[in-house]
Amino acid sequence: MAQPSVVSQDGMLLAVLADEDTITGFLLAGVGNVDLRKKKNYLVVDSKTSPRAIEAAFKEFTSRDDIAVILISQQVAGQIRHIIEAHNKPIPAVLEIPSKDCPYDPSQDSLLTRVKHIAGFN
Amino acid sequence: MYGFEMMSFNIKDGFLEAIVRGHRTGLLTVADYNNLAQCETLDDIKLNLTSTDYSQYLANEASPIYTATIVEKCTQKLVNDWNYMRSQADETLATFMDYCTYGHMIDNVVLIVTGTLHERDVQELLDKCHPLGMFDSIATLAVAQNMRELYRLVLVDTPLAPYFSENLTHEDLDEMNIEIMRNTLYKAYLDDFAAYCRKLGGTTAEIMGDLLAFETDRRALNITLNSIGTELTREDRKKLYSNFGLLYPHGHNELAMAEDFDQIRSAMEKVPAYSGIFSKLGYGESQMLDKLLYEEEVKKCVDCYEQQFHYGVFYAYMKMREQEIRNIMWISECVAQDQKGRISDGIVYLF
Amino acid sequence: MSTQNRLPVVPTVTVLTMMKARLVGATKGHALLKKKADALTMRFRQLLKEIIDAKENLGSTMKGSFFAYTEAQYAAGDNIKHTIMDNVDTAVVKVRGDLDNVAGVKIPKFESFVLPGETKMDLTGLGRGGQQLQSCRKAYLSAVELLVQLANLQTAFLTLDEALKVTNRRVNALENVVKPKLENTISYIKAELDELEREEFFRLKKVQKNKQKRTAADMAQAAQIAEAAAANGGDLQLPPFPGPGVQPPASSSLLYNKEDDLLF
Repeated sequence: MAQPSVVSQDGMLLAVLADEDTITGFLLAGVGNVDLRKKKNYLVVDSKTSPRAIEAAFKEFTSRDDIAVILISQQVAGQIRHIIEAHNKPIPAVLEIPSKDCPYDPSQDSLLTRVKHIAGFN
Repeated sequence: MYGFEMMSFNIKDGFLEAIVRGHRTGLLTVADYNNLAQCETLDDIKLNLTSTDYSQYLANEASPIYTATIVEKCTQKLVNDWNYMRSQADETLATFMDYCTYGHMIDNVVLIVTGTLHERDVQELLDKCHPLGMFDSIATLAVAQNMRELYRLVLVDTPLAPYFSENLTHEDLDEMNIEIMRNTLYKAYLDDFAAYCRKLGGTTAEIMGDLLAFETDRRALNITLNSIGTELTREDRKKLYSNFGLLYPHGHNELAMAEDFDQIRSAMEKVPAYSGIFSKLGYGESQMLDKLLYEEEVKKCVDCYEQQFHYGVFYAYMKMREQEIRNIMWISECVAQDQKGRISDGIVYLF
Repeated sequence: MSTQNRLPVVPTVTVLTMMKARLVGATKGHALLKKKADALTMRFRQLLKEIIDAKENLGSTMKGSFFAYTEAQYAAGDNIKHTIMDNVDTAVVKVRGDLDNVAGVKIPKFESFVLPGETKMDLTGLGRGGQQLQSCRKAYLSAVELLVQLANLQTAFLTLDEALKVTNRRVNALENVVKPKLENTISYIKAELDELEREEFFRLKKVQKNKQKRTAADMAQAAQIAEAAAANGGDLQLPPFPGPGVQPPASSSLLYNKEDDLLF
């Protein structure tokens, strides 16, 4: 059984990968964190961001042990779908969120499709 | 009393006044907004906008189009118009037009200052700057290594130098909350702008006095409203109010003391010009205030076109275009986010 | 009975008792694991429903948040996002971790919390739009709360899924591999033991038969000797003593010998 890693008690971070507007909202709420080495816990993805850069950021977030949840907009998730599907650790949890410009499409969500498949209602 | 202007205004500024009045007629009308509000997708909006003055700015945009693109292109139109007029302008009008853009310039400088504090990339910062607030040497600001250097560069290179030197020291750049800094600068700017308009005299002084008084009162109101419950003290708050406007000085004293919305309201209602706005608001609700204030501003801007031979029309044109861009943004966002029921909440009709 | 599906053991009684003990253990373990799997499945089903609800809820909540942001942008101007971006310092919204225990499976549980105290964001939009920004902030905070909850469900889902798989695998392994094997071994040992017993019985029988045969042969020999002695005539002759424990033949008794000078 995959033993969940020890969850630290002093609070863990949320990481966000999304477009600028979506991220701004989360930053406004106070999710953002920039540490002493100017490492951010979010990545603004625009049309100029290459999938490779997203991939690298995603991998970095998953390997950091102070991040508990990764929020990734569906649009961005679509670009690195294979990596997300390969990620199967419980921590950090990867959550797909809708982005501002395109409404939430439940059928795109890899987890939700799996859940629905198991639950048996489609 | 205004006869002098009638004799001499057109010699230097007649052409540009004609131009700006021409641009004014290019603003979207109620019918245009109704059409836009009927749109189902952003592409429809684009299509609708191509039948207006924005046509050449949007025609070549590939779909899928985003709100940000639309807003950017519409702003581009304003910037191009503005720069055209600015380059034609005579000395006094040019100075006046520069004054109009100082507001954006303050935003840009503050942006660069914070960006430098966080060691952002220069080019990235410049991309974010508002195009109306650009000045030639803005890029040099970003090369500053420390705050003292940056402060010196601001003093040397920007038209905002007097506002900085009179109100801030180089230590402030480092320590002061960025919003307080921005508003301190803005206060200094409004005071200066008002003084300049008074110096110009005539109809310009009259019209602009009215517009700027509204602007400064709105700022005072907003600052008060937004600082309730924050660490900003009454004295600090008072320091951010400009030294003119209908609320100055008694209204400011009352605003500085206000602790909740209803106290603000009672302070504002003592001024006849604003009691009308507040009478439209129910007690305790402050959410709609922004829109009401925007409406009031637009009304004043439209009114100033009733008079001729003054510079207020340029300022008013800029404000109205900006409001129009806000409207377009609002409609586009409502359409994009499938919230069409809310469209009417955000549009401020210009005519 | 197949000989493959059993443990390689020496069929003895000791091993048999051992195997029996193991079978009892396996049966008990199977029952327990089955119970655990049932508990997990129950929780799992419940989770599935919650996830689907939450995910569908997410769409509308996020929509509300986005719109709140649009309102803020409308009131505060487009440039506000750069101000917000530059105001990022340390996170005030964090996630606290905890462990939840479902039938022995540890599930990480998250809870978002806001660090108390003033933030730089409080004064953002001081000049204009501050109120909308604050309401946008609230909208996003509630969105974050929902998202963390969803993350909770999702993590629980993944962990439970994994645990459930493992447990089911164990249940099935016990049911379909271990238990039959043990049963087979036991019956094998039993069969083997029976076989041994039969062999033993047969051997005993054989031994007995041999013994009887030999006794009969001996008797025949003795009879022969006696006969021969009788043929030799009245000689007081004792047959040769065959050894201790063997009775002398009845014919050698003195009673049968006639003596002429017998007085009475």
